[in-house]
Amino acid sequence: MSELILQALYSGVLQGGSYALIALGLALVFGTMKVINLAHGELVLLAAYMAYTVESRLGLSPMFAIPVALVLVCITAVLVYFLVSLIRKDRELNSLILTYGIGIILTNAVLLIWSADVRSTSSSWMQDALVFGPFYSMRSEVLFFVVSVALMGGLWWWLSKSWYGRAVRAVSSNRDAAKLMGINPRSTEIVSFIVAGILASFAGVAIFSYGVIQPAFGHVLTVKAFIITVLAGIGSIPGVMVGALLLGIAEALTVTLASSALQELVGMSLFLLVLFVMPNGLFGAAGRRG
Amino acid sequence: MKMSKTGLAVIFAAYVLVPLLLGSNSYVMSLIVAAMIIGGIALAWALLGNLGGMVSFGHSAFFGVGAYVSAILTMKAGVPVLAAMLLGGVGAVVASLAMLPVLRLRGPYFALAILAYAHIFKILATEWTSVTGGSAGLASVPRFPTLMGFDLSSKTGSYLIVLSLLLVFIAAYRVIRSSHYGIALRAMHDSEDATRVVGVNSTLLKALMLFVSAFMTGVIGAFNVHYINFLEPDYAFSGLWVTLPIVAAIFGGYRTILGPLVGAVTVYLVDQLIFKNLIPSGHQLILGALLVAMIIFSPGGLMPLLRKGTRRKHAAA
Amino acid sequence: MLRLEDLSVRFGGLTAVNTVSLSVGTHEVVGLVGPNGAGKTTLFNAVSGLVKPSSGRILFDSTDMLRTPLHRRARMGIGRTFQIPQPMHELTVRENLIVAQRFGTGAVDARKIDEVLEFTGLTDKAERHAATELALTELKALEVAKALATNPKLLMLDEVLAGLETNGKRRFMGMLKELHEKFAVGILIIEHDIETISNLCHRVAVLNFGELIADGTPDKVFRDPEVIKSYTGASDA
Repeated sequence: MSELILQALYSGVLQGGSYALIALGLALVFGTMKVINLAHGELVLLAAYMAYTVESRLGLSPMFAIPVALVLVCITAVLVYFLVSLIRKDRELNSLILTYGIGIILTNAVLLIWSADVRSTSSSWMQDALVFGPFYSMRSEVLFFVVSVALMGGLWWWLSKSWYGRAVRAVSSNRDAAKLMGINPRSTEIVSFIVAGILASFAGVAIFSYGVIQPAFGHVLTVKAFIITVLAGIGSIPGVMVGALLLGIAEALTVTLASSALQELVGMSLFLLVLFVMPNGLFGAAGRRG
Repeated sequence: MKMSKTGLAVIFAAYVLVPLLLGSNSYVMSLIVAAMIIGGIALAWALLGNLGGMVSFGHSAFFGVGAYVSAILTMKAGVPVLAAMLLGGVGAVVASLAMLPVLRLRGPYFALAILAYAHIFKILATEWTSVTGGSAGLASVPRFPTLMGFDLSSKTGSYLIVLSLLLVFIAAYRVIRSSHYGIALRAMHDSEDATRVVGVNSTLLKALMLFVSAFMTGVIGAFNVHYINFLEPDYAFSGLWVTLPIVAAIFGGYRTILGPLVGAVTVYLVDQLIFKNLIPSGHQLILGALLVAMIIFSPGGLMPLLRKGTRRKHAAA
Repeated sequence: MLRLEDLSVRFGGLTAVNTVSLSVGTHEVVGLVGPNGAGKTTLFNAVSGLVKPSSGRILFDSTDMLRTPLHRRARMGIGRTFQIPQPMHELTVRENLIVAQRFGTGAVDARKIDEVLEFTGLTDKAERHAATELALTELKALEVAKALATNPKLLMLDEVLAGLETNGKRRFMGMLKELHEKFAVGILIIEHDIETISNLCHRVAVLNFGELIADGTPDKVFRDPEVIKSYTGASDA
C-alpha cells in the first residue's frame, strides 16, 4: 500500500510540472490585465495537437513540434489579447464571456481539423519505462518535468532580473505606479500573453507526449489552471508551483486509492474547500472578495 | 401589471395560432419547443446577470439537478409529473444553497466556482448509481399526463406547458425588476458600495436572484426530462445547456427581459437550420464567433444595436 | 453617540488611521480636518463598514460595531456621503431615495421622500436620471438626500462643499445648518475650508498622518501651533 502511495506521489509531482506551466500562464495574464483567459486551456490543446500532427504526419518525435507550436500558440495568444483589448466597458465580466467564446471557437476548430477521437503518442521512446528505485514512470514524464522545472527557473530569472519581467511584475502589483515609472502597460500585457503562450506550448507538447488528448480537454485544463491559481492565491508565483504539485498529487492519489472517475472531483473539492476556508488562497495576500 | 396590446396579441397568437397552424408539423413543433427550452435557461441566466450582476458558466448544474430530482421523484416516489416538475425547481434551489459562500467572491471567482459545481454534480450523477442509474441513465421517465382529455405529452401539449412556464417566468421577472429589491439590484450595478451603505444587503439580494434563477432553470430541466423521457449525466449536465443560453442572452441583450427569448429562438433556429448543415460536427464554432463579435461590437445585445442604428438613420435624415 | 476607541486601520504596511479616539455626541456637529491622505475618508469607511479596522473599537449608541454588517449600519442610524458623488446608476433621483429609504429604514414613506427632495432642492429633478442628468451641485445634494432618506442619527459628510462655486457653497452651507436642526442629526464633516468649519462646527478634530493631533473647539484648535504647522507644513519647508 505504501509503495502505491509513494508511486502516486511521484506521478503526481511529475504531472504537477505541466500543470504549473499552464497555471503560471493564466496567472501572468491575470496579473497584468486582470483578465482570466478562459481560452487558456485551448492554447495548450493547440500545442498538443501540433505535436500529434508532427508525429503522425511527419513521423517525427513530438519534441520537433515545439517550434511550430510556439509560433502558432503565441500568435493565437496575441490574437486573444487583441480581442480582449477591444472590450470597452465592464471588462472584468465581459472578458470572461469573450474568452469563453474564444474557447468555444478553438475547441470546435480542433474538433473540425482533428476530429473528436482521443489521441496519444505512438513514440515508444517517449513511452518507455524509466525506473528510479521504487518509482516508475514513462520517459516523457521525467523529460518534461525537467523541461518544466527549467522553464520555471527561466521564468523566475526573467521576472526578477530582466527589464521586461520586472515591468510585468510592476504592472501586476500596481498599474498606476508602473505607468508613472514610464512602463507602458499595453506592451507588458502583450508580453504576458506571449510568455503564457510559450509556457502553454511546452505544456501542450508534454501532455501529448505522456497522456491522451481530445478536443474537450482544453476546457478541463483551463479549469485546472484556475483551481491552481485559487489554491495559490492569485499573484503568488511560488504559490502556483506548490498548488500545481498539490493538484497533481491529489489527483494521482485519488486515482490510486479510489477511482479515476473521481479524479476531477478531487480538484473541484480542493478548490471549493480552499475558497471557503482560506479565501485568499494558501499563499496569497490580495483580497478577492467583492 | 400593465399589459400592452401587442403583448396580448403575441400571447394570443402563441396560445392559439401557433398550435393551430403548426401543431400538425411535429418537426417544426419540436424545434420550437427546443428553442423555448433554451430561451427559458437564457432568461434565467440573464436574470442572474442583469439583476444579480453575475456571470455563470454553471447553469447546467441547475438544469441537470432539476431534471434528476423530477425524474427520480416521479419514478421512485410516484409524485405526479407536474408537481415533480416544480419540485425539480426546488431541488435546483437546494443545490444552489451550496453556492452561497461563493457569492461573496468577485465576478470571475463566482463564474468559475459555479462551473466547478456543475462538474461536481455531473460526477455525482454518474457515480451515485443506486439513485441516478449512473452513466447508463434513466430510461422511460414518465411523460406528461392527459388532462381533461387533452394529451399534454404530445408536441402541442408540451409546447403549451413550456409556453406557460415562460410566461410565468417573464411575469415574475417583471415583478422582481420593478420591486424595491429590483431597483436596489439595478442600483448595485456600478455603485455597489454606495448602495450598501444605505442599508442594502447585497449578498442577500444576490442570493435571492441566484435562487430565482436556479429555480427557473431547474423547472426547465425538469420539463425537458419529462418531454424527452430519458436522462443521462452527460446529457443532463452538458455544457450545451450553458453555451447556447449564454449566446442567446448576449445576442438578444441580457439586460432586457425579452432579449434572451428572442435571442434563443433566433440563435437556436439559425444554428439548427443553417450552421448545423454547414458544418455538422463543429457548428458551435460559429456560436463562439457570434459571442465574441457581440461582446466586442455590442455587449448590450442586438436590440440596443438596432435601436442605435435606427437612431443614427433618423439623425442622418 | 459615536465613539471611536484607539481605532487603527492598516493596509499592508501603511497605517492609514493610527489609534484614533474620537466621539460625536447626539446632535453635535464635529469637523474632521487634516491634509490630504491624513486618513479622514478611511475613518469614514471604517465607521460605515467599507473597511475593517485592524484594531480598536467603534461604538455607536454603546453597541460595538465590530460584528455589525455593513448594511445593518444604515438601519442603526449611520448615514454618509461620498466625496466623489456616487449616485446609483440607471436610477432616477426619486428611485435613489426610495432605495435608500426602503433599505435604510425598512419602510417606504412617500411624504418623507418629498420632504427630503424639497429640503435638498431636488424636487424639480426628482424624475431625472441621477447619473447622467444632474449638475455637480445637484449630485452633491443627492448624496445628502440619500443619506437623509435613511433617517440617520449620525450624518457623515465627506467634502460635500468641495468643488462648488461660491454661490452653491453658500446655499449648501445654509442647508447644512438648517439640516442639523430640522432632522435632529449629529454631524461628522470632513472639510478643508477652515472658515466653513468654524462657522458650522461645535468641535474640530485634526488628523495628520493617521493620528489625531488635536480635538477641541474651532477657536482653540485653529490656534494650536501643531495644527497650524500640519496645515502649512508644506509652505514652511
